[in-house]
Amino acid sequence: MVQSATAVEAQPYNYGIVRRFTIAALVWGVLGMLAGLYAALELSFPWLNLEIPELTFGRLRPVHTTLVIFGFGGSALFATSYYVVQRTCQARLASDALAGFTFWGWNAAVGLGALGYMLGITQSREYAEFEWPIDILITVVWVAYLYLYVATLKRRSQPHIYVANWFYLGFILATALLHVFNNLAIPVSLTKSYSLFAGVQDAMTQWWYGHNAVGFFLTAAFLGMMYYFVPKQAGRPVYSYRLSIIHFWALIFLYMWAGGHHLHWTALPDWTSTLAATFSVMLLLPSWGGMINGIMTLSGAWEKLRTDPVMLFLITGLSFYGMSTFEGPMMSLKSVNALSHYTDWTIGHVHSGALGWVAMITFGSLYHMVPRLWDARLYSTRLVYVHFWLATIGIVLYITAMWVAGIGQGLMLRGFDEYGNLAYSFIETVRFLHWPYVVRALGGAFFIAGVLVMVYNFWMTVAAAKREAAALEAKLAAKLAARG
Amino acid sequence: MSETRADRGRGAAVQTTGHAWDGDLQEFNNPLPRWWVWAFYATVLFAVVYWLFYPAWPVGEGYTKGPLNSITFEADGKTWTTHWNTRARLMRELKESPAAVRQRQYLEKVAAAGYDEILADPDMKGFAWSMAKGLFGDNCAPCHGSDGKGRIGLFPNLADDAWLWGGTVEDIETSIREGRRGFMPAFGEALGEAQLDDVAAFVLSLSGHEVDPAQAARGARIFRGDAGGCHYCHGMDGTGLKSQGAANLTDRIWTVAKVPASPSLEGKLEAVKRVVREGIRREMPAWKGRLDPVQIKLLTVYVHELGGGQ
Repeated sequence: MVQSATAVEAQPYNYGIVRRFTIAALVWGVLGMLAGLYAALELSFPWLNLEIPELTFGRLRPVHTTLVIFGFGGSALFATSYYVVQRTCQARLASDALAGFTFWGWNAAVGLGALGYMLGITQSREYAEFEWPIDILITVVWVAYLYLYVATLKRRSQPHIYVANWFYLGFILATALLHVFNNLAIPVSLTKSYSLFAGVQDAMTQWWYGHNAVGFFLTAAFLGMMYYFVPKQAGRPVYSYRLSIIHFWALIFLYMWAGGHHLHWTALPDWTSTLAATFSVMLLLPSWGGMINGIMTLSGAWEKLRTDPVMLFLITGLSFYGMSTFEGPMMSLKSVNALSHYTDWTIGHVHSGALGWVAMITFGSLYHMVPRLWDARLYSTRLVYVHFWLATIGIVLYITAMWVAGIGQGLMLRGFDEYGNLAYSFIETVRFLHWPYVVRALGGAFFIAGVLVMVYNFWMTVAAAKREAAALEAKLAAKLAARG
Repeated sequence: MSETRADRGRGAAVQTTGHAWDGDLQEFNNPLPRWWVWAFYATVLFAVVYWLFYPAWPVGEGYTKGPLNSITFEADGKTWTTHWNTRARLMRELKESPAAVRQRQYLEKVAAAGYDEILADPDMKGFAWSMAKGLFGDNCAPCHGSDGKGRIGLFPNLADDAWLWGGTVEDIETSIREGRRGFMPAFGEALGEAQLDDVAAFVLSLSGHEVDPAQAARGARIFRGDAGGCHYCHGMDGTGLKSQGAANLTDRIWTVAKVPASPSLEGKLEAVKRVVREGIRREMPAWKGRLDPVQIKLLTVYVHELGGGQ
């Protein structure tokens, strides 16, 4: 699989694949967030369903989650992991062809999956809605990814493997395991299959997957991103090597047990519930290990937060990471969960992680990486500040609206009056949700506006780089012509 | 992991691990923050204590039961004590929670009382209103609306004084228990456009609308004669017939024809004509079997009070 020397091989690193995945992340990000905003508006103003089946909330929601998690997040992980593994190993990716295959395979899976959801083709497994042919495609892509990553690590000219790579590798291995077992199904046609599991075991498998998708895809992998881009952007060593080892293994070991907390107070056996809750609580400090290591890396150089907006993105991302990894274990306690489950508190929690942590750390990393990929200077630092404030205001509006919605609805659903009757009917709780839903959509709009500012900034950056390159070439050509 | 030991061996004097990647990427070897370590131990301790109180670890065919905890509940007339589990907790809450106790006392009282007693007693009436509001919201509101005002043309308004099928508690209870089938034949083919115009004019005149008197007179003959035969259900004077669910046409309350929605007389006439032309077919399902008798009783009181019950 390792290619012999070619013209391309002459360049030290394969940046082409990183650039392509970066563009894919931006495209899917914009599309996925727009789908999310529209779905949010449908919840506030149901007539927006427009009686068009493809646009109804039920179909648009998996389009949103798939495009932002796998399209935006996944592509950003491919891009940064290929960038980081090459630079920290000082080795070119083991195979350009295989890297290209992961690009086309992954994007085909995301695009086909999202189109299928709009047509009603879905496994109905949350965050794993892909039907079996796409599941198989993803599996093949993932095996190629794993092979490529390990083969590149083997080519390293460094004796030690940098910590970011452990996290990326942990993410790749765990995702393979989760994807395969959760999607074991018997196909009955090209677009329909039935899960191999039934009843509560099916639910448990699904949430073992769902929770660890959060744990390994959205946490461990983005910690890998953090471990490269934070010290690199700060120009300082990582705070503690020891802490990185301990919290890595603690995180990997503890996460796998916690999925059952998505199924408290259901048919799930009590012992499974208890284990899930307690392992979630024990997960708090290992999660925080990454935050401490990231934020303390800046210790002694705090002034960078005043001068460098990219650092602002990275550190704010870590702060939201710390907040949502505190909120998560709290919500996994059975008594808290009795209030929060089946309410928008859950949605708020997910987004404080997804917008606050995953997206912010990605934005910071992209701002660091894009100028280096295209060998250019960033078009505007001021626009990075604009993006930062739009994103931050958006997140704060979003999660506070969802706290109000979730805790409010949770309290209404369990409220009793002086006669011992339920104080509210379900429809009253729905009516209560209207305004929080409007505010949430507004927060989402702020967030997307920020992303569009970033895309514009990158567009101008790359355009300027191309202009400069063209001007340089013209100068060179003129010189040669003058000589001739 | 051997890496860690090697680093420790070198002692705390070494500031970084001595490795560098990608040019300037390095790692300090700071010790673990003490507060972090102790906080982690605290969460582990919390987990261990939790396991002693709740079912936790699978062992063989069973699981550890949480030896320091137990729960007592009543079921089938017996008292059971067992290790803590969600099923037992649910049984206990259904029986013993303050809300459940209060609700049960009221339910027993209401079940034993007649409608007269319930309506005369503010406490029982208050309970009926509070409980039936939830029942109504969950079962009836999808059609009749959470305020019971229904939707003209589709679902009757339950919050006004007009009752298609009768407004006494007995009538209302029958409507809920057995359901209702609202039917009026379509007269479009039997009458033709001109006669539909006449009938519509007469119908509007019944509720005091200013219409062409000649037209209304022609309409009256159709309404009261065999050409239309409307009077069989709506009565000679148009006040309706409870046993058929036939509407009172003299009270300016419209349940099917969208008369109030049209500002102009032409629009109002067209609204009435449409109903006469197309007829009515609508059904309310029977709720016996889906709701228990006490729930139906409470809903009856609620609907009775919601509109002007008779």
